[in-house]
Amino acid sequence: MTLSIKDLPQEDLFGPGNAGCRGCGAAIAGRQAMKALGPRTIVSIPASCMATLSGSNQRTAWQVPFYHTLFEIAPAVAAGIRAALDAQGIRDVNVVSWAGDAGTADIGFQSLSGAAERNDAIIHVCYDNEMYMNTNGQTGSQTPLYAITSNQRKGKQTCKKDMLAIMLAHGIGYAASASISHPLDLIAKLKKAAARRSFSYVHILTPCYRGWGIPTDQSVAVARKAVECGLWELYEVEDGVRRRTYEPSFIPVAEYLAPQGRFKNLTADKIQEMQDAVNRYYHREEGKA
Amino acid sequence: MSVMLLTGSEAAAYAAKLARIEVLSYYPITPAFPAMERISKFIEDGELNTEFVRVECDHSALAAALGAALAGSRTFTVSNSQGLLYMTEVMYHVAGLRQPIVMAVANRALSAPHSRFPEHGDAISQDASGWIQLFCENNQEILDTTLQAFKIAETCRLPVMVNYEGYIQSHTQEEVDVPEQKAVDALIPFNRIAALDVNNPQGINTVTGPEFYMDYKYHQNEAMEGALKVIPQVAREFAQVFGRDWQGLVEGYRMEDARHAVVAMGSLVSDARIVVDALRNEGRQVGLVKIRSFRPFPAAALRSMLSAVDMVTVLDKNIIFGAGGALGNDTKAALYGYRSLPVKSYICGLGGRSVGTREIRQMIDLAENRVEQRRDYEWFGL
Repeated sequence: MTLSIKDLPQEDLFGPGNAGCRGCGAAIAGRQAMKALGPRTIVSIPASCMATLSGSNQRTAWQVPFYHTLFEIAPAVAAGIRAALDAQGIRDVNVVSWAGDAGTADIGFQSLSGAAERNDAIIHVCYDNEMYMNTNGQTGSQTPLYAITSNQRKGKQTCKKDMLAIMLAHGIGYAASASISHPLDLIAKLKKAAARRSFSYVHILTPCYRGWGIPTDQSVAVARKAVECGLWELYEVEDGVRRRTYEPSFIPVAEYLAPQGRFKNLTADKIQEMQDAVNRYYHREEGKA
Repeated sequence: MSVMLLTGSEAAAYAAKLARIEVLSYYPITPAFPAMERISKFIEDGELNTEFVRVECDHSALAAALGAALAGSRTFTVSNSQGLLYMTEVMYHVAGLRQPIVMAVANRALSAPHSRFPEHGDAISQDASGWIQLFCENNQEILDTTLQAFKIAETCRLPVMVNYEGYIQSHTQEEVDVPEQKAVDALIPFNRIAALDVNNPQGINTVTGPEFYMDYKYHQNEAMEGALKVIPQVAREFAQVFGRDWQGLVEGYRMEDARHAVVAMGSLVSDARIVVDALRNEGRQVGLVKIRSFRPFPAAALRSMLSAVDMVTVLDKNIIFGAGGALGNDTKAALYGYRSLPVKSYICGLGGRSVGTREIRQMIDLAENRVEQRRDYEWFGL
């Protein structure tokens, strides 16, 4: 896949006028994704930052149909939209449910699992800021180990639930991770998902400056460090074949963790623990940064 | 037309088929599931060209139906009791978005304690949800009302629940006249409005501030009030084509010169007709008012029915704890300020406790013989 920035459409189908915070990772992801999905797309978004920043009263930041759903139901709504389009013989429209980590992995998980198991022809995108940012940043299942949240001041004591593994366990044809720091990779993956007539899952890391305790101009840079240190692996699984889509440079995990306010309590041994975990995962020599 | 022996579930299923529903979504629950299975069989047998979304729960069933309705398809679902409660969040959402989904509801008692038997508590729990709620007294009315529901829903841009009681109606066979497809097509032509349309992109349900929210609610309520006109109009149109007149909002039975009116809805109505006939034969001036539309509540039509009676007995197959029966309360509210007359309200038949002609007669006798009420409502059949 040799996608070039020159191949991308000029127009922004999501973005201008959105009410996101400065440096909002979710809004950046939306803008990038729409470069792949195009104007013949219907988007359902459950209660989340993305739904809130997408429009208010009589304004919308989307140039495509956008429906702000209840919290638990974006994938089920998308399944219904697909059924209605099929019933009316409309075949050339992408149906996307676009949820945060809560609307995907927690409160929205049941309807997501249902749509995946039925192999409904929709794309589910999880934009993951790793905590419940629309309600001030509480812990959720996508919050990583040790991260400080607004209701766990000492940091989370359990691991992030591996949503890609869970979604792959449904036997779906396409699943991928992505990061706003690697837009061409993200766009290529969504293009692949859109070309299929089956359920696809794309999980995008979207830093949030407030929750993560980073400067507003560092969202993309921090996302890049997550990828480069190996903690956020970019890969896809297409019809059972797994492929890493970007080889990280393996900067020390400390370079990713230390600048973030949510990890300010991390001691050297905990950082080493995470470095060791990355080393083991990528089969790198112990101790090598 | 052909006369078939159908259960209430089958009557609802035949109506969905005749309405040519485009999307079906449901999650199985007792006693509603035979209606679901019958429609799925129509689809599997190739008799009905409908997309079926086999969801993983009741909440998603209505969510998928909502997505389909927003994308412009005629959409149907079936549920009851716990399923309906689980859907509640989506119920309000559907109504607020003004989507014309039709739902058949095989009324069943709510847990706890666990019960799978009939009463109206599940429907009553949705009384403020913004759904039109119609109640049926027999299987013919289930079929006819379900057909009418699509017309009402698509005219008012409001969702409609068609209520019939579990087992008493859902599982009991009666003769049902099944209309010809062509006549149904003429009565309910497709009136497609796709809110989600790539050729006309719109933002649906954006965050709404105090400057707009209340106005949306006003218009939603106006639509509900407007249904008070649409429901009888559709009943008339239906009667002109098919010869069966279900009267719309309320129906008076032997109310001419009646001194004592019984107010009821659902399966109780059929039995109450028999009781009223028997009492009339004995020379007692008793009549029956059937509530067909529970929401919107036909206060004016009911008042007009009750304009000359001396007393009213309301039969409620539901209980709003600490407040009484829903129908009794609404009846009193409708009369308040217009007429001062005793309204006796009986809570009966909860969780499948049998209420037949004998019990209805007992309640009428009790109401006439007990001048002083112990409280605003009474329990019958404990």
